[in-house]
Amino acid sequence: MNSNDEAPTTPPGTAGFNVREFARTAHGSHRGRLDLASLAEEPLDTDSLRLVRALRDMERTTLHRVRDLLVTATHKDARVTAFLTTWMFERYWIADALDAVLDASPAAHGLPSSAGPARRVLAERRERRGPIRRSLIANITGTQIVAEHVTTSLVDEWITQAAYRRLPGVSPAMASIIGPVVEIKQRHIHFLAEEAELRLGRSARARRITRRALRRSAWPLGSVDRSRHERTFFERQVFGDQSGRAEAARIRAMVAALPGIGPGVASTVESRLLP
Amino acid sequence: MAFDIDKYAKNSTAVQWADLDFDEFERDPLSEGTLRTLRYMCDIEYHTVCYMRDLLTTPSHNEPAVGTFMTMWNREEFWHGEALAAVLKRHGVRIDFDELKATRLKLGWQDRLGTVKQTAMSRLVGHDFVAVHMAWGAANEWSATAAYQRLAALESHPVLVPLLKRIAQQETKHVAFYASQARDRLAASKKARKVARFALEKAWGPVGSGVMSESEVTHVMTHLFAGPEGRKLIRDIDAHIAKLPGMDGLRIVEDSMDKRGIAA
Repeated sequence: MNSNDEAPTTPPGTAGFNVREFARTAHGSHRGRLDLASLAEEPLDTDSLRLVRALRDMERTTLHRVRDLLVTATHKDARVTAFLTTWMFERYWIADALDAVLDASPAAHGLPSSAGPARRVLAERRERRGPIRRSLIANITGTQIVAEHVTTSLVDEWITQAAYRRLPGVSPAMASIIGPVVEIKQRHIHFLAEEAELRLGRSARARRITRRALRRSAWPLGSVDRSRHERTFFERQVFGDQSGRAEAARIRAMVAALPGIGPGVASTVESRLLP
Repeated sequence: MAFDIDKYAKNSTAVQWADLDFDEFERDPLSEGTLRTLRYMCDIEYHTVCYMRDLLTTPSHNEPAVGTFMTMWNREEFWHGEALAAVLKRHGVRIDFDELKATRLKLGWQDRLGTVKQTAMSRLVGHDFVAVHMAWGAANEWSATAAYQRLAALESHPVLVPLLKRIAQQETKHVAFYASQARDRLAASKKARKVARFALEKAWGPVGSGVMSESEVTHVMTHLFAGPEGRKLIRDIDAHIAKLPGMDGLRIVEDSMDKRGIAA
């Protein structure tokens, strides 16, 4: 908010991730490469389909996420907004590819409705704020909020990556569909990880704001607006078995390794992932 | 005429310029005045994301067609910024993201309160506020198209002209979306017509005013629209706006020229 606070938010020009190159090589529609015929021959099981639908819904709420970032000082950072522009575009087409999978799967019609009452958790109440309150509160926080945004987005990408990893093993057709999606998202992770590292490393205030956000977020981001049973399904499907718990532990370790975040916050994040 | 959003999304691309010989700018550089105008246009294109933010605080983005459009439109405009930045770079003018950030930081409290005011307004008039945004967006996109086409007509540069035409062509698609949205939504609600008319009449200004300094706004408007031919284009934009339901008789673009003393 004051000039001292603005100064340390910009990563140096030597940052490794090239946003312009990322924008130039953005991935659009996947429709041409999807092996949907094989999906008809070897249909997906109900739980995998339901996970595809959950991921599709998450990719589709991108605009909502972008709004929550842009009503804060994050919108002033042209490098971050340049990233968000391409990120939105790629997520749009990932959602479209998952839509195609659902359309090609007759069993998708039999899935339980995703609508239902939300889970009310006191710790998550800050996520239910509307744009006015977000904007007012974030304006007090100032430009260090960018650190919170890139870090929570990074953790969110780690979590959805764990979910995507559940799918390729289901069938060769799914492997061919999901493989490139995971690769696309790997670039998002690269940018977010680099930004988080730099911004947290530089400012105690950024670390404080980010720790608070990590402790209070509903994972994956946007979950506060999802039904109780869909959230439970996701936690069970992605983190419920032994390999899922190992994934959650891996995420905890990555969160703990972020500058100034610490093992306590990382354990809170892990505990929120488990069913 | 309905706007085919799926077709638009499928065909949405970054504007291309790799096939244009940018070395031509070294042999035949652009004038100072033109570079100044391009610089303005470039900044505005990059700032589209700030305008999108305002749209996102209305209930509109929950509608799939609007969400799809915003995703593609925001990216196309970003690429217009990149294309113009590439032209400027050949003239020794570097536009980097940090500098754009500085412009946004300078906006200060006015901009910070912007979201709150927008959201509060949009709550007050609810869904009808989307119509206001669409009418506003249509006025902006008509202006942008006219600006690119006019600059292409004023210049004879063999590389700049085709690039401007490519950009203008994408802008006409944006016009089609905003205008069709505005038309339908305004036709459906008397309150929307009233609020949109009030907002355009009281608050509309040339694209970039409020973000760029007034001296730059005046330079660009004079460069592109001074004189009888420019004024005719300005009147055409007003005529398009006036055809939207409830907007008859508005002459906001011409008024904004008169206010800045741009000669007719």
